[in-house]
Amino acid sequence: MKFVSNVFLYILLSAIAVIMVFPFLWMVINSFNSEENIFRIPPTLIPDKLFKKNMFENYVVVLRDYNFLRYALNSFIVATSAALGQIFTCSLAGFAFARMNFRGKNLIFSLLLMTMMVPVQVTIIPEFLLMMKLGWLDTFLPLIVPSFLVGSFGTFMYKEFFENVPKDLEDAAAIDGAGPFKMFFFVFFPLAKVQTVTLFIIAFMNNWNDLLRPVLYISSEKLMTITMALTQFQSEYEARWNYLLTGGVVAILPLLIVYMLLQRYVVEGMAHTGLKG
Amino acid sequence: MKKLALLLLLIAFSVALIAETVTLEYWMWDPSIKDKVEKAIAKFEETHPNIKVNLTVMEPKNYWPKMRTLAFTKKLPDVFNMSSGYLEEWAKNKFLLDLTNYVENDLDKDKFFFNLFEAGKRISGTDRYYAIPFALVVTVLYYNKDAFDEAGIPYPDENWTWDDFLDAAKRLTKDKDGDGEIDQWGFWFYGRYAHVESWIYANGGRLINRETMRFEPDENALEALKFLVSLVKEHKVAPMPKEMKGIRQQDVFPRGLAAMWVDGSWNIENNRKIIGDKFRWGIAPVPVGPHGSKDVAYGWPDFVAISATTKHPKEAWEFAKFIAGEGLTLDMYMAGKIPSYKALTMSEEFDEVGKQPVEKGKVLRELASRKLLNSFTMGWSEWRGYGAAESMGLNGLIDAVLNGEMAFDEMLDQAYKNVNRVLKRYYK
Amino acid sequence: MKKGFSWYKPWHGWIFLIPTLIGLFVFRIGPIIFAFFMSFTDWNIMLQPTWIGLDNYKELFTDPNFYQILLNTFEFSLIYVTGTMVFGLLLAVLVNSKIKGIKFFRTAYFTPVVTSAVAVGIIWSWILSPKYGLLNVILEKWFGVTPPSWLGDAKWALPTVAFVQTWKMMGYYMIIYLAGLQNIPSHLYEAARIDGASKFQSFWRITLPLLSPTTFFAFTIAIIDSFRNFEIIYTMTQGGPQYASTTLVYSVYVNAFVFYRMGYASAVAYVLLGVVGLITWINFLLKKYWVQRIY
Repeated sequence: MKFVSNVFLYILLSAIAVIMVFPFLWMVINSFNSEENIFRIPPTLIPDKLFKKNMFENYVVVLRDYNFLRYALNSFIVATSAALGQIFTCSLAGFAFARMNFRGKNLIFSLLLMTMMVPVQVTIIPEFLLMMKLGWLDTFLPLIVPSFLVGSFGTFMYKEFFENVPKDLEDAAAIDGAGPFKMFFFVFFPLAKVQTVTLFIIAFMNNWNDLLRPVLYISSEKLMTITMALTQFQSEYEARWNYLLTGGVVAILPLLIVYMLLQRYVVEGMAHTGLKG
Repeated sequence: MKKLALLLLLIAFSVALIAETVTLEYWMWDPSIKDKVEKAIAKFEETHPNIKVNLTVMEPKNYWPKMRTLAFTKKLPDVFNMSSGYLEEWAKNKFLLDLTNYVENDLDKDKFFFNLFEAGKRISGTDRYYAIPFALVVTVLYYNKDAFDEAGIPYPDENWTWDDFLDAAKRLTKDKDGDGEIDQWGFWFYGRYAHVESWIYANGGRLINRETMRFEPDENALEALKFLVSLVKEHKVAPMPKEMKGIRQQDVFPRGLAAMWVDGSWNIENNRKIIGDKFRWGIAPVPVGPHGSKDVAYGWPDFVAISATTKHPKEAWEFAKFIAGEGLTLDMYMAGKIPSYKALTMSEEFDEVGKQPVEKGKVLRELASRKLLNSFTMGWSEWRGYGAAESMGLNGLIDAVLNGEMAFDEMLDQAYKNVNRVLKRYYK
Repeated sequence: MKKGFSWYKPWHGWIFLIPTLIGLFVFRIGPIIFAFFMSFTDWNIMLQPTWIGLDNYKELFTDPNFYQILLNTFEFSLIYVTGTMVFGLLLAVLVNSKIKGIKFFRTAYFTPVVTSAVAVGIIWSWILSPKYGLLNVILEKWFGVTPPSWLGDAKWALPTVAFVQTWKMMGYYMIIYLAGLQNIPSHLYEAARIDGASKFQSFWRITLPLLSPTTFFAFTIAIIDSFRNFEIIYTMTQGGPQYASTTLVYSVYVNAFVFYRMGYASAVAYVLLGVVGLITWINFLLKKYWVQRIY
C-alpha cells in the first residue's frame, strides 16, 4: 500500500518537476548549441554541440575570454556579505520589534515595511546621487552597505517568528539572569535556524541577481558582477544568445548550489529546540 | 646653489610637460567592439603624444540613464556617442559643444558623406552642427531570392513601385503544405517605426509638420498607412501582428515565414546568422510610392559629440574627428551599418564579396548618398512607441488596426490626440 | 507576570535597532522622500527639476489609460497572490515528505525562482506562441480547440503574464511555507494520528491554523511582491497590446527610463505606494482575527 502511494507521489513530483525545470533545462541545452540553432522554428531538442569535439566551446569562451570566473567571484563576495549583513541586522531588529516595547516601535516598523513598496526605479536616481556624494561610486560599498544595515523582508520574517516564541522560555532565561543581549544571542537567535537559512538564501539570491545597482555604480571592469557581465552579450541591435544563455547558466548554478547545500538546514527540523512538550 | 637651480628647472620642466598632457574621457555604447576601439585609441595617442584618452563602455540600455545623470551632475565625459533620437534634446539644452566652426574650418568635408552632417543639423532642430556622424543606418527591403525564383518574379530594384510590390506579395503568399494555413507570407510588418516610416517617406509623405511641430500626417502619409493596412486586411499578403507573437520580429523573414520585409539595414548580421546558406536573399531600396521619388531615404546617423563644458575643446575635437572617421576600421561596424567616412564605405572591403546580400555595397552606398528623412522629435520614444514602450504610442495604435481591434479612422483620431499631447509638452 | 511587563528597557530596543535605523533613514527613507518631492516636479534627469505642484497627479488621474492600468495592476495581484499562496503551500506540503530524493525535487521547484525573468519570458513566449507554440499545438491537435494568441490578444495578455510570473515564484513561497511547516511540532501529528484523524483532517485542523503566522507573512509579502512585475511584462508583452498588460510598475519604469519623466514616474510610484500601503494596512488590521499564535 505504502509502495503504491509512494510511486504515485514520485510520479506527481516528477510531473511537477518537469513543468518547473524546463526553462532552466532549455538554457542548459542551448549552452551546447551554436547561435543559429537556438531560435529555430520549430525549436530543436538536441543541441548541435553535444558530444562533439567543441561541446564546451560556449563555456570556455564565456568563462575564459569573457572573464566570468572573476565576475562570479565578485558577485559571490558581494552577495555573501550582503546576506550575512541582512542576518545580522534583521535578527536584531526583528527581536526588538517582537519582544520589546518602546515608543515609536510601530511607526518604525511601518516605515520599514513601506520602503519595500516603493519601486526601485524611482528611488534609484536619488540613491545614486547619494552614493555619489558619499564618494562610493565604483566600489562594492553601495551594493553591500545598505543591505548590511537594513532589511524589510528579513526583519519582518524574524519578527513574526520571534513573536511566536513562548513567553515561558523568555521568562525562564530572564530569571536566570540573562540580559537582552544574552537573551537574543543565546536563546532566541539559535531558535531561528530555519529563518536564518531561509533569509540567507533569499538575500543572497536577490543581491546576486540585482542588475540595476551594479550597472549604475560600477564602472571598472575588474569589479563587475556576473549580472553585469551578462549584459555584455547584448548590444544595441543584437544579442549573442549562445553566450547569453551559457552565461545565464553559469550565473544560476551558484544560486542552485547555495540552495541545495543550505536547504537541509531548513528542514532538519526542530528536533532539539526544547519547544515541544 | 647650482644643484638647487637645476632641480627647480627640472621640476618646472616636468610640471610644464605634465601640464601639457591632456586627458580625455570617451564614452561609447558598443561593448562588442571594445578592444578594437582601444586599438584605435592607442593609434591616436601615438600621433598625439600629449593627449591621453580613457575609454568607458556601456551597453545602450544603461548608457543613457547614466549619461543623463552625468549631465545633471555636470560630469559629462569630453567625448561620447550620441544618437539621432536624443540629439535634439541634448543640443537644445546646451549640453553639446557647437561644432560649426570646427566643421567649416577644420574638416575635410570630402572625406565624409556630408549629407549626414546635414541630416544631423536637421535632426538637432537648429542651424548648427552639434555632432559628427560616424555611422548611418537606413531601411531596406529584404527579399527571399529563392522564393522569387520559385514564383517566377524578377527581383526588386530601385525602380520598383508599390504596384510591383503588391503583385509580387500576392504571388509569394502561399500555403505550401495544403493544411489551410499560410506558411509563407508575401510580407511581414507591424506598427514599428522602421516598418511604417519607410513607406511614408517613400511616398513623399510626412508625419510631423516641422513648422508647427505637431502630428499632421499629410495625404501621402495617409495613403501609405492605408496601403500598409490593406496588405493585412484586404489583400491578405501579410499576417496580423498577433499571429507572430512569440517569434522575434527580426526572425520572421530569416526563418522563411515571410518572403519580403522592410527594416533597418543592421539586420543583415542577424539574417546571415540565422539564414546561413539555407536560402538566397538580397536587399533593395524601399519601393517607391505613387507620390514618392528616388532621392530620399529613411535613415539616421549615429554620432560622436563633445560636451559643452569640456575643458579641452581643441583636443576633444581632434579626437572626436578621429574616432568618427579615420580612426575607424570596417570591422568596428556591424554588418549593415554604413560608415560616414567615405574611404571605408567606398572600399572593396565594404562589399563583403562572398557574403550575402551580394548587392549590399551597391544598395547601401546609393542609399547613403540620398537625402535622409526621419520622424525623430523630442519625446519621440513616447509618442511613437519605442523599446519598452512599443505597445503604447503610435506603434500600439497601428497594431490595433492591423489586429482588427480598431478602425482606421478611430486610430487616426486617437493618434492626433495622443501624439500631440506629447509634442505639446516639448514644443509649446 | 503582569501584562505589559517587559524584561527590557525601552532603550534596549533602540540599541538593537541602530543598524536598521541608520540604514533605513539614510539609504531608504532619504531617497524615498527625495522621490516624493520629485513627484511634484518636472524632471528629465539632465536639467534642474522645475516645480509644477500637483500637475503630475492631475495628468495621471485624467489619463484615459490610468484606470485600465490600475485595473490591470489589481487583476495581476489577485492572480499572483492567490496562485503563489495556494501552490506555494501545496508544493511545500508535497516536498515536506521524507522520501528519498526529495532534496532534488525541492531544488527543482526552486529553479524558476532563480532563473532570470528574461529566460523565463522567452521560453514561455514560445510555448504560448500562436503558430508554433507547444501549448497551442497541443490544444489544436489533441483537443481540437482554437486557442487565442495568448500574449497578443488584449483579453488574455494580462492573465497570461500573471500566470507566468506566478509559476516562476511558486518556489519562493514554497520555501517560506516550508520554514513555517518546520515549526509545527511533530508530536501534535502523532497525537492526532493516535486519535484516528485522517491526513486531511490533520492538515485542516493542525497544519493550517498553526501555519497562520507563516500564511500571514507570506500573504503580506505576496501582496507587496505582486506589484513588482516589470521584468516579466517587459520580456513578454511590453505592456501590450496597447496597455492591456501594463501595470503601475511597468508604467513607472517606462516613464522613468524610456520617456525620462522622473517627476511623473514618481507620481505614479506614489499612487502605487498608496494602493499597496492601503491594502497592507488593512491586512495588518485584520491580522488579529485569523492569525493564531502557536503557543
